Amino acid sequence: MKKIYEKPVITKLQTGFMNKFGSSPLYARKIRKDIDGVPISELVEKFGSPLFVISEKKLREKFRQIYNAFSTRYPNVQFGWSYKTNYLKAVCAVLHQEGAIAEVVSAFEYEKARNLGIEGKEIIFNGPHKPVEILEVAASEGAKIHIDHFDEITDLEKIAEKLGKQIKVAIRINMDTGIHPQWDRFGFNLETGQALDAVKRIASGGKLVLNGLHCHIGTFILEPEAYGREVEKMVKFAYEVEDNFGFKIEYLDIGGGFPSKNRLKGTYLPPDVAVPPVDEYAEKITESLYSNLRPGDFPKLILETGRAIVDEAEYLITTVFASKRLPDGRKAYIADAGVNLLFTAFWYKFNIEIDREVQGSNEPAVIYGPLCMNIDIIDEGTMLSPLERGTRLIFSPVGAYNNTQWMQFIEYRPNVVMVMEDQTVEVIREKENLSDIEKRERLPERLKIK
Amino acid sequence: MEIKIAVSGINAVDNPGPGIGVAKSLLEAEDFSAEIVGLAYDAMEPGIYMDWIVKKSFIMPYPSGGHDAFINRLLYIKENYGMDFFMPVLDAELPVVIKYSHELEKNGIKTFLPTYEQFKLRSKDRLEEIANNIGIEIPKSEVVTSYEELIKAIEKIGLPVMVKGAFYKAYRAFTTQEAVSYYNKIVAQWGYPIIVQQVVSGEEMNVVAAGDGEGSSLGMVGIKKVWITELGKIWTGITIKNEKMLSASQKFIEKYSWKGAFELECIVDTKESRVYLIEINPRFPAWSYFSTGVGVNIAANIIRKSFGMPVKNYTDYPAGKLYVRFTDDLVTDMERFQKIITRGES
Amino acid sequence: MDRIKQLAINDEGFVFDPLTGDSFTVNQTGLFILKKLKEGKTEEEILQEITGEFEVSQEEAERDLIDFIEKLRSYRLI
Repeated sequence: MKKIYEKPVITKLQTGFMNKFGSSPLYARKIRKDIDGVPISELVEKFGSPLFVISEKKLREKFRQIYNAFSTRYPNVQFGWSYKTNYLKAVCAVLHQEGAIAEVVSAFEYEKARNLGIEGKEIIFNGPHKPVEILEVAASEGAKIHIDHFDEITDLEKIAEKLGKQIKVAIRINMDTGIHPQWDRFGFNLETGQALDAVKRIASGGKLVLNGLHCHIGTFILEPEAYGREVEKMVKFAYEVEDNFGFKIEYLDIGGGFPSKNRLKGTYLPPDVAVPPVDEYAEKITESLYSNLRPGDFPKLILETGRAIVDEAEYLITTVFASKRLPDGRKAYIADAGVNLLFTAFWYKFNIEIDREVQGSNEPAVIYGPLCMNIDIIDEGTMLSPLERGTRLIFSPVGAYNNTQWMQFIEYRPNVVMVMEDQTVEVIREKENLSDIEKRERLPERLKIK
Repeated sequence: MEIKIAVSGINAVDNPGPGIGVAKSLLEAEDFSAEIVGLAYDAMEPGIYMDWIVKKSFIMPYPSGGHDAFINRLLYIKENYGMDFFMPVLDAELPVVIKYSHELEKNGIKTFLPTYEQFKLRSKDRLEEIANNIGIEIPKSEVVTSYEELIKAIEKIGLPVMVKGAFYKAYRAFTTQEAVSYYNKIVAQWGYPIIVQQVVSGEEMNVVAAGDGEGSSLGMVGIKKVWITELGKIWTGITIKNEKMLSASQKFIEKYSWKGAFELECIVDTKESRVYLIEINPRFPAWSYFSTGVGVNIAANIIRKSFGMPVKNYTDYPAGKLYVRFTDDLVTDMERFQKIITRGES
Repeated sequence: MDRIKQLAINDEGFVFDPLTGDSFTVNQTGLFILKKLKEGKTEEEILQEITGEFEVSQEEAERDLIDFIEKLRSYRLI
């Protein structure tokens, strides 16, 4: 009877690092054999590697959990799905089915939402760059337009004149909520009086009707109290506007920025401890609403939470393509997916799971992506048992910003599949091939290689 | 009564953790018999080798591993060796242990810690509110993230100012130019935000105390640091009784129903009779044995309270007692080191 | 190979180098290889013994042995 084999490992003890668990928070190596009951091996066999896998079940669960946290506390709640977080049609469609309207920030996203069958009035149109053509379409289709700067007021007034009707608009404001850095590049600043100037300007023009306020205090905000301060300032400003200009503020869009259970690089606390539960955010926000709103006044509360809904619903399956020993003794693995697909690797340290039991003690390792580019690193320092070629690594959470910010650099983008609630698997974005990439290219006749 | 008490922070080095002081205090209690289980993060923490205080030690995964790593390790120790109580004394451990204290309790590991809400009170932006509530002052301070804000803050506070990083580094600036250069220095090394703080004159005085979670004190001692090392750590200290500072601590326990040990760091201007709150640490300080030495065994009282034993009522302590830290050394063979390296326990 | 002969190796996988004062930890397979190297066996011989002792393919064992020796070299143990 031969002994069970584990790959040989020797590690030098270094002062300050003599902890058998290693300095990596990810020492608790986890095994994942399936996603929602569908085996990893089956997924890869059918759809290849790397492979993005979205869980419909988890996506709906997350949405309901967050939506319910608010709707059980406040009677007038509307969610806007932040397209830029993940605008794959299937993802948007699931969230629209759950009752979210669309929140878009560009002409492309506006067209995408319309193309999916979302009506103009079900679209929130944000962002600093709304070219006049799309702005006119949005205005005529009744979208909720959130003005970012004075030039946009001018543009909209011209459009109102052209359409021969008043346009309902909201303005985006920014403010000090105690969050650093303060997001002050979008919208009109509250403390300097700029926001009030914008309202004055809109009122004096007479062509636009202000009916909403929008604010977005930042991203990955770990302090629920900041939202309480945001809401308080927004409500006070809304009443100032109503009392002095005769506009009725029908809705307050408090933006998003809620964190997911992802680990930001450079933060010490693990996400299960550092990230407050969504109920804590809902509590602070609604508490602040009730203590600042006038009796009987329940303006619509709009939330544009993106990351908190989708991030944990998606995984990326990758395969160890090769391994090597670095001159400093660390083990390096080359995975078939890197920062080309995981843009968020620049600021997150992902949860890494392995598809099989591995024998052997942990050793310091680094995981590189496939790119011929020095910055292509998915994890620059972790502890891993020696992995054999072909081992699958499952990265999560990857649902936010990767399917929108991924880049086509020297590699094709892989299949994205959704594990449906009934455990069937649907391809929701086919893997690319050469014709996808070259379709828009034109080679001048004289440059053709004969 | 025999109680197995796990204590962390047994790194008795030049910047010592609070663990050994707490362990010594627990061993001195006469009404129960404590066995100290050391929890270490490195095989070279001296406590592991101080077998007259720490009977057995375990290497812990870092608290940044969260539930799966950290809490499971505690449960492993409970099951395989025994642990009736866990006294975490390091800042990084507290959020994790507080978060999962119910789970630990359910598995037979008691703790005695503030709630997460209470724990968050000590954050820098809440200090002003606390100082107001307990009747002391706080140096004026502003959080800045740009030159413009920095200049404004200096105008508001007035020179000289302290320019501080959020976690590390603090410099005293006498001119705006100096402040700007320190600001750049800290930003380059530690990033934003930067805190600009009023310079207050006075002496550094501290309180070690614990609240029972119901508004009463489990013991309290005030001290002044007489001599500190280059790292800013106490080497010689003396007990004092500054009424204003002690009553502020008492109010802190009452108003916030604080549960567990804490350290109040103050600057006391005795000429003007002003007490400024600098920081609240939600744990024992490294010099906590000082209070035990003057008859106020706070750590033991926490154990008494947790296990339903009669709590000692420490109403007074003598002022003018001296605290002297000293260095010592020991020689041992590699066996304990080998064991802790290969098995993760001594 | 001289340095490796002086190493103090215990059966739990703790390795001490009296020449430099460095300590190492090694797992069971690594320990197996270290001991064979200490005995002065060649890489070919060791490879044969690994596949005889453990449930492992020739290919994987060879790849791992090369990797392990590279690691020892990076520590200047050989």
